[in-house]
Amino acid sequence: MNSRMLRAWSRLFCAAALLVLVLLPALWLLQMSFRHNAEIMGTNLLFRPTLENYTALWTGDFPASFGHSLLASISATLFSLVIGVPAAYALARWRFRFRQRMMMWILVTRMAPPIAFTIPFFLVFTYTGLIDTILGLAIIYVTFNLALVIWTMKGFFDAVPRSLEEAAWIDGCGVWSGFLRVALPLSAPGLAATGILCFILSWNDFFFALILTRTDAMTAPVAIVNFMQYAGWEWGKIAAAGVLVMLPVLVFTFFVRTYLVRGLMAGGVKE
Amino acid sequence: MRQFQPPIRRRDLLAGAAAGTGLLALPAKAPAQGGTKKFDGLTLHVACWSTSYSEFLKNYIPEFEQATGAKVVYETPSFPIYNQRMDIELSTRAAAHDVINVTFIYSGRWVGAGWTTPLDDFIHDPAKTPADFDVGDFIPGTTTAFKDRQGRLHAIPWIADVHMAGCSRYDLFQQAGLKQPDTFDEMATTLNALKAKGGPVPFVAENHYGWTFIPYLHGFGGDVFAHPPDNLHPLLDSPEAVHAADFFSDMLRSYGPDGVLSYTYDQVLQSQKDGKVNYSTSNETFLVQMAAKDSKVAGTCSLSMMPGGPAGRFPDVAAHGWGIPVGSRNKDAAWAFIVWAMSKPLLLRMFRDHGYSSVTRASMIQMPEFRQHSMINGVDVAQLYLDTLKLGDKGYTVYRTVPPYPLVDREIDIAIQTIVSKQMSAKDAMQRAQQNSMKALQRAGVKL
Amino acid sequence: MIFGTRPATPRPGATAWARQQRHAFIGGLAPALLVLAVVTLGPAIWLVITSLTPWTPTQPGSFDFSAPWQNYQQAFESPEFVHSISVQVELSVVTVALQLLVGLGLALLLDRPSKLLEAIRTGFLIPMVLPPIVVAIIWKVIYTPDISPLHRLAASLGMPFHSLITDASTAIWAIAAADTWEWFPFTMLMVLAALQMVPKEPQEAALIDGAGPAQLFWHVRLPFIRGTLMVAALFRVIDSIKAFPLIYVLTDGGPGGATEVTNYYAFVQTFNFAYWGYGSAIAVLLVAGVFVLSLFVSRTSGGALDE
Repeated sequence: MNSRMLRAWSRLFCAAALLVLVLLPALWLLQMSFRHNAEIMGTNLLFRPTLENYTALWTGDFPASFGHSLLASISATLFSLVIGVPAAYALARWRFRFRQRMMMWILVTRMAPPIAFTIPFFLVFTYTGLIDTILGLAIIYVTFNLALVIWTMKGFFDAVPRSLEEAAWIDGCGVWSGFLRVALPLSAPGLAATGILCFILSWNDFFFALILTRTDAMTAPVAIVNFMQYAGWEWGKIAAAGVLVMLPVLVFTFFVRTYLVRGLMAGGVKE
Repeated sequence: MRQFQPPIRRRDLLAGAAAGTGLLALPAKAPAQGGTKKFDGLTLHVACWSTSYSEFLKNYIPEFEQATGAKVVYETPSFPIYNQRMDIELSTRAAAHDVINVTFIYSGRWVGAGWTTPLDDFIHDPAKTPADFDVGDFIPGTTTAFKDRQGRLHAIPWIADVHMAGCSRYDLFQQAGLKQPDTFDEMATTLNALKAKGGPVPFVAENHYGWTFIPYLHGFGGDVFAHPPDNLHPLLDSPEAVHAADFFSDMLRSYGPDGVLSYTYDQVLQSQKDGKVNYSTSNETFLVQMAAKDSKVAGTCSLSMMPGGPAGRFPDVAAHGWGIPVGSRNKDAAWAFIVWAMSKPLLLRMFRDHGYSSVTRASMIQMPEFRQHSMINGVDVAQLYLDTLKLGDKGYTVYRTVPPYPLVDREIDIAIQTIVSKQMSAKDAMQRAQQNSMKALQRAGVKL
Repeated sequence: MIFGTRPATPRPGATAWARQQRHAFIGGLAPALLVLAVVTLGPAIWLVITSLTPWTPTQPGSFDFSAPWQNYQQAFESPEFVHSISVQVELSVVTVALQLLVGLGLALLLDRPSKLLEAIRTGFLIPMVLPPIVVAIIWKVIYTPDISPLHRLAASLGMPFHSLITDASTAIWAIAAADTWEWFPFTMLMVLAALQMVPKEPQEAALIDGAGPAQLFWHVRLPFIRGTLMVAALFRVIDSIKAFPLIYVLTDGGPGGATEVTNYYAFVQTFNFAYWGYGSAIAVLLVAGVFVLSLFVSRTSGGALDE
């Protein structure tokens, strides 16, 4: 018993130590963001923290790009949910001949390398004026979010016992009112998790935003790269911006941690 | 960055207008208060890459907006992002921008492909260009890169950067009994001596080798093309070119900082300002910032002319200018912006406020005030600059203005990286660069 | 079959209900399929079309189909393209192998029902969800000698080393290390999920037979999770083809093309040199590669993906 306790504790200790080690690089960026630019590479951990990097960001163009990121990610998420969730439900409940193949096709759209989409989208966007717009970004984010919604939500709907809906149907409900009254409420946590995954995916995008935006819709990840520029790398600002960009993602991850696996099965959290 | 203070600026503006200096080209015609302004309700999209001049200019833009009624959307992404975006944008002849920076490596490509607007009609129209704008005031060496085959000007240069050499710690040179090198041979022995002494890293160069390596290539007797702009047969595998590549790579490898291949222009500048690296052959505009207020080496830095080799001295000229994309739908307002941004009074104010502005107007460089300011620890940098530009007039910089140069530029980058990181010998790397350049040029439709 | 599971005693109008149901499902499915088709199939077709032309906006009239295969031919004759594939293969193999090893090891360590371990598990997810550009910046700090804590630590321990990202022999490994850090949580999560599905009886039986932990793993648990490892590996291989921000920020494909993977090569050709047709052809080849790998995923996972 005692040796088992000991082993359990040493396992815990090992895991905790490894976790700290793994997170060190990220924590290093965090501490850098609180340093004065003059002592940005200091190794002394007892330094006087400053918020100057954050306030400098706040007064520049960064808040705007943060807003663009939020807007594009949220609208892409909502749109993908609105059209993806009914499709997922249909695929979960309706057995038809090409169902497997259709699921596979949906998954493949999600796996194609972004460069394949970027070339045609860039040209179409240039000629339609969608370039450098939030709407344009939201549209391109649907390309990878929709498949994710369909795959994950189908999984959640599969887990809802059919008998409950059948009872509702017998009571005279149509397919979609049964869906709204039974299946959807029962999958509410899954829906929230899926939405959050979509949000993270869109939020994390760098490649599309790099090519398809300029100033009016420039997202936060691209704005960071812009700090890597003239007059020496502004490491303090870069670190602070990095911390701000990872913050929403970390908060959301905490909420969806248990559902993450399923979302990942549909092809990874990010590009 | 300094904060914008509207009351003072407005006063300046009024004073300027009262003095009738033509501070703004348009306000001369813009009606007084209450009337509609010339470009009311119009939005002007202006883009440049991020550098001190473009950042300083940001502070004055509200004045332009106020005077003309136009709203200016001004963006300054970093250099590589700016070029990449502008290149694709221009290639689609998009209307997204009205005023752009015509970047030096791309000037030939953009002007040659007809993606920018010839400015001659604007320049010669007195209704659009006040007499005191005086295009002739721009030093000839700064405008050549922006002329098309018919001789029409496509951009107004705001900078003509040149290669110079500079050290952050001239005191260490003196202690070792060294001078700033004048030839490549001297450079090698000097760097070696500095290395032996310890102290800061002896040498660094920006990792854009299609720019920083060329004076070495020319200096050792090599060249990029056979006879630009008519015969673009590349000459990258000539014995002289191989020798130059070998020498330059050896300087980087033996005397450069750890990770020298990742040093972008901003890092080169910062490492010199911090006194971490002593000597570099770099851009004049970067080197002079060693004397800026926030520099740790303001009291010890020094500049000299770019060293030369057995074939002579060949510092390059990199001109950036304001141009108008053919796709722009607001060309008149765009030209008004250019005239305003490059007007002498504004440039003078920028110089007085920030100690630095654009250096393309001969009349400004000749001003005693300017000359005085450009004395750095006893070195007359303005004179060095003029001398360097004069060398550039000899014509060896033409290679840079041919449309397909960006293709060769990239091959040179890769070749030097490959040699410094010891993946290939100088000979093999330059031979590969030659073959790849030939292929790239043929693919771009160049007859070889 | 959904129709079979309906109440055994069919109501009058059961076929009408079935039809109504089918229409409802079609109505639910159609918008999503339509949108997917427009945003993915449309661009795919356009991509294939442009890949058959030498189209570049610098040369008017280059949008012509007189030599439809020249881009592909040119790609396979281009040493840069061929080299980019070998770099891609090297990077993919190294990163996926490392991610499998690290993920498997951590999963085995964390696979115990315990609230504390669960919390730690969540902590390990962080690298994977961080925005890739932030990951790239984190590693840029670590790999830039004059500000790197790693370089300073090594120097203070008397083992200084040179910049990893500018040395051709180490650059690819530096990228692989950063990529592994970013993605090991994925394999870890999948293995953890699989480990929890391993039935208890054979494990207990093996323990009673006196099997040690190593034998238990090798003979009992590994066979159960082998399929999952395979799927995880394929997913990671597919994703590794898309690697972009790390390379963009850390090496820009250098030094001298040493880290220029195919995706990056396509990006440079298309967006730096405006070779739209040629870039499209490379992109088509990439999509084809991904498609083949995806087929493997569906074969390998069989019904597993579909639960």
